[in-house]
Amino acid sequence: MTEGIQNVSKPQIKVENLNLWYGEKQALKNVSMNIPKNSITALIGPSGCGKSTFIRCLNRMNDLINNCKIEGKVTIESDNIYGPDVDVVDLRKSVGMVFQKPNPFPMSIYDNVAYGPRIHGANRKDLDGIVEQALHSAAIWDEVSDRLKSPALSLSGGQQQRLCIARTLAVKPKIILFDEPTSALDPISTLRIEDLTMNLKKDYTIVIVTHNMQQAARISDYTGFFLMGELIEFGQTKQIFQNPREKSTEDYITGRFG
Amino acid sequence: MELNADVKESDHKATRVQGGLNFRLNAKTSEKIAFAFLGLSVLIVVGFVLVILAYIVYNGYNAINIGFLTEMPRLMMTQGGIYPAIVGTLYLIIGSMTVALPVGVMVAIYLNEYAGETRTTWLIEMAINNLAGTPSVVFGLFGLALFVKYFGFGPSLLSSSLTLSLLILPVIIRATEEALLTVPKEYRESSLALGVSKWQTIRHVVLPAAIPGIVTGSVLSIGRVAGETAPILFTGVAYFLPRLPDSVYSQFMALPYHLFVLATAGTNIAKTRSIQYGTALVLLIIVLGLNLVAVLIRRHYRKKLKV
Ligand SMILES: Nc1ncnc2c1ncn2[C@@H]1O[C@H](COP(=O)(O)OP(=O)(O)OP(=O)(O)O)[C@@H](O)[C@H]1O
Ligand SMILES: [Mg+2]
Repeated sequence: MTEGIQNVSKPQIKVENLNLWYGEKQALKNVSMNIPKNSITALIGPSGCGKSTFIRCLNRMNDLINNCKIEGKVTIESDNIYGPDVDVVDLRKSVGMVFQKPNPFPMSIYDNVAYGPRIHGANRKDLDGIVEQALHSAAIWDEVSDRLKSPALSLSGGQQQRLCIARTLAVKPKIILFDEPTSALDPISTLRIEDLTMNLKKDYTIVIVTHNMQQAARISDYTGFFLMGELIEFGQTKQIFQNPREKSTEDYITGRFG
Repeated sequence: MELNADVKESDHKATRVQGGLNFRLNAKTSEKIAFAFLGLSVLIVVGFVLVILAYIVYNGYNAINIGFLTEMPRLMMTQGGIYPAIVGTLYLIIGSMTVALPVGVMVAIYLNEYAGETRTTWLIEMAINNLAGTPSVVFGLFGLALFVKYFGFGPSLLSSSLTLSLLILPVIIRATEEALLTVPKEYRESSLALGVSKWQTIRHVVLPAAIPGIVTGSVLSIGRVAGETAPILFTGVAYFLPRLPDSVYSQFMALPYHLFVLATAGTNIAKTRSIQYGTALVLLIIVLGLNLVAVLIRRHYRKKLKV
């Protein structure tokens, strides 16, 4: 079934035979996938099929869950991230994550973006520059440049989400994981974030979970379709949407179930 | 026949019950009645508090003047001020909070953020709950045995402060745990996802968000420290001392015990009436003042946290 491995010359993320259990329940079954550098990979599939579970394996957020057992191998730039001497904190610096619900810290806009770099020991003098650049990259600088000291929670939902992206960018990751970043946002904010991700592709590798087929088709280069913990099909987005190999993939993207 | 009668009887009951259900107050009336009762309860409580306050203020304010606040008691405590008792109570507050606040917060962080749901954790939680329900006189005896005797601190400010800090530790732990629980999981997750370690996440995101709750709990315990008599009775408070404590090993006077002495065992109970009420008033003002400070701190942090 697994169509994960395809010919990508030098994958940045290489997942091999990933299995994951929450207690007795298996949530990921033998998932293998190669994700190339500077691309956008969309993960689609019905609710509960394991998309979030999978994406959270890539920055080891599942470590936080009590009885979660993981088998298999995830290699990022030739490091096995589940290897014995991997520093999870360092891993998460290079693999950032943006969540479904915009969740800025209850601090000022500036402090939200400066939070990561500050703790990672950025120079005080450089901080202003880092913050400004991150806000520029997240396409929100023009809206907040005159009120950096006001509370982040006073921003609109869409602005908050872009602020969260800026917060992630400020740590200078190589990979950014998005878990349904626009599902809590209005259509206009959604479009802005879609444009933003396409611009970020130049500098980052992006993996995005989405329930929105148009979004997947519009922004992604590769698409993976999950069903009940299995990766049913993975390939170039064009191929998946125009010419899916699997019947269930076709059913899902044409809206016949899910 | 008998059976039949029974059936009839219950049939009858059933109709009566139904009839009862049909008789309903209309929503507006029941709303009004409920509101009246709730309002009355509030009035009674507020009324009592106001009467007590007014009574103490009325009887006590005459006694209060600069001399009363800054002088030593004189003539077998029938004259002069209550300065050493005020200072003693303030020292107790500072002493016990200095110990109990950091320890309590650290215990709560450990229990809430690090300890898993194991048997040991459960036992510790149980122990803390029991500690919270223990009568304060038991703490007094424990303090006497442990700090005064075993550690040899003698009857002193140190022994009393440590005893009081044990007394308030469960309050602070509970309040801190509750406050930590209210911090959204999302804050922790997004901080960790930025490559920030768990401790740094707690230190920079979780704790600041929990401060209002921690402060509230701490203030409750300040009220207890200022008001408790039993724990200090065995461990260091003095009946009468014409000077201030000069080290943590000195004995001291304290407001609640001073009040007790004047009102029950004093040389001339009737003669010291106004001093008694004055002492009560000062105690009240200290506790209310600290409450006010706490409200301000809380407000400040709330403002910083929220929009
Ligand atoms: N912490 C957990 N403990 C136990 N089971 C979990 C946990 N998290 C997820 N699951 C289960 O694992 C399966 C996959 O969940 P996951 O959240 O990855 O789905 P998803 O594809 O992201 O769904 P959605 O589109 O609704 O977000 C589900 O059956 C879910 O109930
Ligand atoms: Mg999900």
